[in-house]
Amino acid sequence: MSTETRLSRLEVIPRREVTRPRRAWQNYAWSVALVAVISAIGVPIHTVISSTNLVMLYLAAVVAAALYLGRGPAILASALGVLAFDFFLIEPRLTLTVADTEYIFTFIGLFAVSLVVSTLAARSQEQAEAARKREAQAIALYELSRDLATTSELDSILQVVIRHVSETFSRAAAILLPAGGELAQRAASPGFALDENGLAVAAWSFRQGQPAGRGTDTLSAAAVRCIPLKTARGVVGVLSVKPVDPATHLLPEQRRLLEAFASQAALAIERAELAEQARQTQISQATEELHRALLNSVSHDLRTPLVAITGTLSSLEEDGACLEESAQRSLITMAREEAERLNRLVGNLLDMTRIEAGVLRATEEPCDVQEVISAALDRLGSRLDRRPVTIEAPAVLAPMDFVLMAQVLTNLLDNALKYSPPGTPIDIRARVADGMLEISVLDRGFGVPKEDLGRIFDKFYRVQRAEGMGGTGLGLAICKGIIEAHRGHIWAQNRPGGGTIVTVALPREPVAADPGSETL
Amino acid sequence: MTDSGPRILVVDDEQAVRRFLHTSLSAHGYNVFDAVNGQEALTAVVAHRPDLVLLDLGLPGLDGIEVTRRLREWTQLPIIIVTVQEQERAKIAALDAGADDYVTKPFGMGELLARVRAALRRAASPAAEPRFSSGQLAVDLSRRLVTVGEHEVQLTPTEYDLLRALVINAGKVLTHRQLLRQVWGAGYETETHLLRVNMSNLRHKLEPDAARPSYILTEPGVGYRLRVNA
Repeated sequence: MSTETRLSRLEVIPRREVTRPRRAWQNYAWSVALVAVISAIGVPIHTVISSTNLVMLYLAAVVAAALYLGRGPAILASALGVLAFDFFLIEPRLTLTVADTEYIFTFIGLFAVSLVVSTLAARSQEQAEAARKREAQAIALYELSRDLATTSELDSILQVVIRHVSETFSRAAAILLPAGGELAQRAASPGFALDENGLAVAAWSFRQGQPAGRGTDTLSAAAVRCIPLKTARGVVGVLSVKPVDPATHLLPEQRRLLEAFASQAALAIERAELAEQARQTQISQATEELHRALLNSVSHDLRTPLVAITGTLSSLEEDGACLEESAQRSLITMAREEAERLNRLVGNLLDMTRIEAGVLRATEEPCDVQEVISAALDRLGSRLDRRPVTIEAPAVLAPMDFVLMAQVLTNLLDNALKYSPPGTPIDIRARVADGMLEISVLDRGFGVPKEDLGRIFDKFYRVQRAEGMGGTGLGLAICKGIIEAHRGHIWAQNRPGGGTIVTVALPREPVAADPGSETL
Repeated sequence: MTDSGPRILVVDDEQAVRRFLHTSLSAHGYNVFDAVNGQEALTAVVAHRPDLVLLDLGLPGLDGIEVTRRLREWTQLPIIIVTVQEQERAKIAALDAGADDYVTKPFGMGELLARVRAALRRAASPAAEPRFSSGQLAVDLSRRLVTVGEHEVQLTPTEYDLLRALVINAGKVLTHRQLLRQVWGAGYETETHLLRVNMSNLRHKLEPDAARPSYILTEPGVGYRLRVNA
């Protein structure tokens, strides 16, 4: 009986449907029926074939019962077989008395052989069954490790473990991982959460590295069983299971399988944590590098103008008398230009800070595109003097923050000036397309390496150039921030025939600036 | 120091700025007085009777806008606002409150002196000349005649009113709000697009290159200014 129960419990293995064995009493009925059939065949033919040979039929029935019905029914078959043989086939028939005492040996022989055969057959059956169970466990374990192998993210790993544990063992499962010095539930079957008691058991199991709770030697009154997730480096967490049906208990082989699950899970969790650590290290290294680059860049860019200004002033202060007037003048001009550069840099840093802090607001009102362009050209002043500038812009109004947009165009023009050879033309083109206002600044400069096209709008990003070009790498990032505050887009492309095109696109309300629309 | 030059009151809470302005303006023949905050500025205007106030916007306590308002309650003396780029709104508010002009820190001395001279000149001759000319552009307010070079320019009534407002205040910055109120009337102060459209049309009629205007200058985010030829 106990074998039967055990068999049926272990059948709870996913994706491997095995027909459940018949119930016990059915097997015994089958074995009775088998003996009855043999007797029914034996009675009519016992006149033709000698009784001692008919014994073989009963032996065959016992072997069949041992193979297909199990040990108990086989023993029943052998006993019934001896009785039936005596009753139906041995003179005097239809009574259990035996005339010839020789037959006593036949009975004993039949019964002994039956017992041996049925024992051997049943054992081989049990071995086959055990092998099948081992295979099923191996498959369950294999499926778990296969699913874990294809997962690298910690939360999905936990989900995979939870799913496999609950499917294989008919148990609600939870995984607890240490977080900030405390063990906390990180993932669980739907609706399952450890209570305070369960958490205490898990904590003990985590500290001691030993299973605890239900079905173990420690804290066995608990409703949950906790298995530490151990790897060579230590305990990474705790797997905790609770039977769906409180009456069921795990069997030794199930416990072993559950422990195997736990070590698989532990390895996978450790792998994910190590990967995460590696990623964090990489990120913090990159951040550190960025900060260092930023500090270098900013301190260099802030100091350079100050060096020039301080140098000029001290030189005028100390030996102003012995300097020629033209030399004085050129020193002063340079110092003033440096001061202006410093002012631009501080302005950029402030703008970037405002964008980063999210306090930059675009006050949108209808603005004349041509006017914005001319304001930007105005700001660059004499720096554009030696450049042929062409402007193609329709007279349209579009909602924008005039000052911010003028700054965007100033930055774009400033870049065009910086990254194209002196004397080459700069073109500004505006057009209305798909309900957007597009303004492009085109130069005949060095262009941008293809892989950098998307990155030039990143903060502090500068395209690597052989000679040190001025600039903080903030100009385009500021443009991007401003354009995004307008719900617009900005992008760069290389210009056919050489050079760069940077385009901004702003959403536009249809307000036309043609004289006909004016009412007077 | 002679007492003959124009008198300028410098209001700034930064000593470095006051010192530099004091020295530079004195060197150009101005009589310079200092005030370190708004309250002091109001008293100093009564005490020293300056010809012009150079007023920092970011004062502690009574700020530049408030000082401008209080001064405008009783005097039309020229006020030039000194701001930093981040005070866009305060600058416009001060101009709307009646300040004459502004300079943005850091500024060059040449630029500041030009603004000071222009403001003093406007204050000295409050009655506008009926005739204005700058480069190829000539405007005769008495005859409602606008010419560019040899050619008479036909303007719509609105465009003419706009130009007239600029001519009367030639050299002075006019905020969007001020222009809208003067040309369209009270209640139109926020209809910026009317101003943009008419300004665009006016420029196309007057400017040789509307994309790079040489007569009507844009003060980004603030308003417009008609350039005065030296």
